[in-house]
Amino acid sequence: MSIGSEARIQTIVPPRARPLEAGSRVEWVLMHIAFVVITVFFLAPFVWLFTAAFDAQAQAYIRWPSQPTLDNFVQIFEKYAFATALGNSVFVAVSTMVLTVVVVALAGYSLSRIELRQKAWITYAILLLQTMPLSATMVPIYGLARELGLRNSYLGLILVHAAIELPFLVWLMKGFFDSVPRHLEEAAWLDGRSKLRALFEIVLPVARPGIAVAAGLSFLSAWAEVLMVLILVDQQNMKTIPLAFYETFRTAGGYTEVQYGLVAAMAVLYVLPVMAVFFATRRLMVRGLMNSTRGL
Amino acid sequence: MTAVGAGAIRPRSAVSSSALRRNSAYLLGLSPAALLLTLFFVGPSIWAVYTSFTNKALVGIDAARPRFVGLDNYQRLLSDPDFATVLLNSVVFVVGSAVIGQFVLGLLLALLLDHSERRRYRFATVAYAAVLLAWVNPTVIAGFLWVAMYDFYYGSLNTGLALLGLGPVDWLGRFPMLAVIIGNVWRGTAFTMLIFLGALKTIPSDIYEAARVDGANSWRRFWDHTLPSLRPIAALALLSITMSTFGTFILIQTLTNGGPGSQTEVIALYAFHEAFRSYQIGYGSTIAVVMLLLNVAFAVVYLRWSRARA
Amino acid sequence: MGKVEYDDVWKQFPTRDAPAVRGLTLDIADGEFLVMLGPSGCGKTTALRMLAGLEQLDRGDIRIDGRSVVGLEPKDRDVALVFQSYALYPHMSVRDNIQYPLKVRRHTPAERASKVERAAKLLRIEHLLPRKPAQLSGGEQQRVALARAIVREPRVFLMDEPLSNLDAKLRTHTRTELKALQQQLGVTTIFVTHDQAEAMTMADRIAVLDAGELQQLGTPDTVYQRPANLFVAQFIGSPPMNILDAKRDGDALVVAGGWRIAAPRRLDGASTAVKLGLRPEAIDLALANANGAQPAEVLVSEPLGSEVIVNVKLGEALLKVRTAPEVRPDPGTRVYLRAAPEGVRVFDASSGAALN
Repeated sequence: MSIGSEARIQTIVPPRARPLEAGSRVEWVLMHIAFVVITVFFLAPFVWLFTAAFDAQAQAYIRWPSQPTLDNFVQIFEKYAFATALGNSVFVAVSTMVLTVVVVALAGYSLSRIELRQKAWITYAILLLQTMPLSATMVPIYGLARELGLRNSYLGLILVHAAIELPFLVWLMKGFFDSVPRHLEEAAWLDGRSKLRALFEIVLPVARPGIAVAAGLSFLSAWAEVLMVLILVDQQNMKTIPLAFYETFRTAGGYTEVQYGLVAAMAVLYVLPVMAVFFATRRLMVRGLMNSTRGL
Repeated sequence: MTAVGAGAIRPRSAVSSSALRRNSAYLLGLSPAALLLTLFFVGPSIWAVYTSFTNKALVGIDAARPRFVGLDNYQRLLSDPDFATVLLNSVVFVVGSAVIGQFVLGLLLALLLDHSERRRYRFATVAYAAVLLAWVNPTVIAGFLWVAMYDFYYGSLNTGLALLGLGPVDWLGRFPMLAVIIGNVWRGTAFTMLIFLGALKTIPSDIYEAARVDGANSWRRFWDHTLPSLRPIAALALLSITMSTFGTFILIQTLTNGGPGSQTEVIALYAFHEAFRSYQIGYGSTIAVVMLLLNVAFAVVYLRWSRARA
Repeated sequence: MGKVEYDDVWKQFPTRDAPAVRGLTLDIADGEFLVMLGPSGCGKTTALRMLAGLEQLDRGDIRIDGRSVVGLEPKDRDVALVFQSYALYPHMSVRDNIQYPLKVRRHTPAERASKVERAAKLLRIEHLLPRKPAQLSGGEQQRVALARAIVREPRVFLMDEPLSNLDAKLRTHTRTELKALQQQLGVTTIFVTHDQAEAMTMADRIAVLDAGELQQLGTPDTVYQRPANLFVAQFIGSPPMNILDAKRDGDALVVAGGWRIAAPRRLDGASTAVKLGLRPEAIDLALANANGAQPAEVLVSEPLGSEVIVNVKLGEALLKVRTAPEVRPDPGTRVYLRAAPEGVRVFDASSGAALN
């Protein structure tokens, strides 16, 4: 076994039959009080977010909108050029996803099949990169991107977002490819295929769940990530949703005149795709994100 | 061709040319990833080390033609009283939000949910989803939500306190460190919880059955079996969240931006502020290099532990 | 055409200490059914994979029809391989699996359809064509894998333990079918197995390998009756050949218990200490004493229906003797043994090489 599969915290377990035990009445009550407290603590901010977004006079506290309205959403499109940001975000996130999937499929497969004595070291190095905090490389990435002319460009955004989750996704895909029997591609080679075409025709379709996780995670990461956008973009027409949200929040919320409704509406549009993608593919994503220790 | 002894068949060099030839297709397949990683991980690190030895700035004469200043930046950093404060803040933040907050709360949540699964308490799923939801949403959203929660006049927290007859609390002004720690615990606890939930599921149930047959009550079973079997993974989880918490930037930046004063200025913010507010890229890079070195130290220990575990 | 030559082929894996294949030299005639037989780790699969192009060789040459294939990609060698795991493409239907190599080679749809039809008919799997591999039994998957190899009409068929994942009954049945199929198609076939019964029943010639080296190459009869060394003698045959320490004493060989056996006429070597090999059927067991017979004691009799294997104690040694089903002596019975002169094999005690 390579170190890659060992060095991660494994959480995937086969379902097992668990003994059912009946608890006492007191226990039931105590446990449910705990559930309520947990749920309130973790959910309250979201309850506020979704009520405020539909409230033209939203306040910082939770209240049911007296007249639910879409005014806030209309305003962010009319006054804050949200359509441009939305378009940019979709373009950047989708492009990042496509690029990432191709790159990590090639790299994960190659790393799985390569036979070098140094293989363990390559895997080790990738895991080491995976633990590097973005906030530490943010200043140098800014400096480097400036010198390479990658600021305020789609290419720069796509490349950097593809790179952010790359170490983790390469490692993840290596695991998926390790579980695809080599005989399959060997059979395809003997049937007359080149290595590259055998990969695309035979191996990738078998490793589809892995591809799906890689696609989902790279999309989510590129859609949600704000730090790199913050340092790479300062032109209005290049803004993506994270930056648009960040700026609106800084000017229309927080410190000066408080327009929570507007910012909340923007936040809702920012966060909805994340929630949708995540909960639609929850099982796969939890498994994937579990291993992604990067925080911002 | 004549037969030769076994020892003469293959030269045992580090990378033989035949090994390279045999793997050439795979090396080619790794190259796009290698290129991206070089561009955005390795390159910036080298650039940071190089720049930390210069007085490079964002504006002015030092922007165009940075001078080599040797170890000046590192000397300055060591004698910088602000840096001592920043390091202390970082330690408080990491200990408070990762070690105490996320780790302990995550462990408790995992035990609670695992227990609920055995008892078939349906409501546990709602709590589980709530914790996950806080985790998956973008960090900048978390910052915004807690800005609203902490709002002095109208925030949900103070509104809630008022209902209990308690006075408004200036959360971000009076207790800024506590405020950012709570925000980070809210956002990040799911990770630890998931790790422990996974680990709890791998404990074979026959251990429990054996213990029950031996007459151990549920507390004994918990102390003697459950907790010890979580220990190895706990070390890894702790190190892992320590690393990610150490790099926290966006959450604090949106909540307090390091203030008031420099009460919540942690190392990532300090590097950013020195580079972009004071326009001193050389000095900012020096701080980044220190961060990277600390992180490598953590990561080496982490990888070693996880290898030892397997 | 499909004449295969291994010429002093060597292969060492970087992760192992000993070479996997040492100096393998082997000529396989066109249309021959050759079985590579040996225990696991003997290098037989490596030898096969080198011919397929899935492993590189360190030195030596492999030729098909006189032309070297070293350095050719697997796709350019025109050989088909049936894997132990069958390696069916799980996301394709049986039909798509079988016609995949034809698609790759740009055959027209009509051509493909007729070839798939013919192969499916030959293997009686027409009804399986629309299914996915996961919906098939092990035996059916095996047939599909064979069909995928057959439609290619390759110069050489390679088979890597294709029967080992089948249950015992199906394995025996398939072995017969496979042999018949090969004779019908007349394509050179190299079949790798560790099962000596498979080798004996199917092969035109058997190549016995051990520790990466070719031990013996010959027809099933030759390797059974005239094993080249002790390894072959003990690997082939069930139960295996009885091996006894013996001393040369003039025209006779003396084994444990003082049993004197007439030595074969042409015997090489000069050393007095040798190993004597006797197949279980080369020992004649009688209940009554006769002239020159060796008395011994029965340990246990194992009836197998058509025959009985009688375990006999001779001094410290244990002999297995094959007898007719009605001869079934009880434990402790005194029996009398006689060696069939033409069944006596003598091996060098140190090198293990056959001396007669």
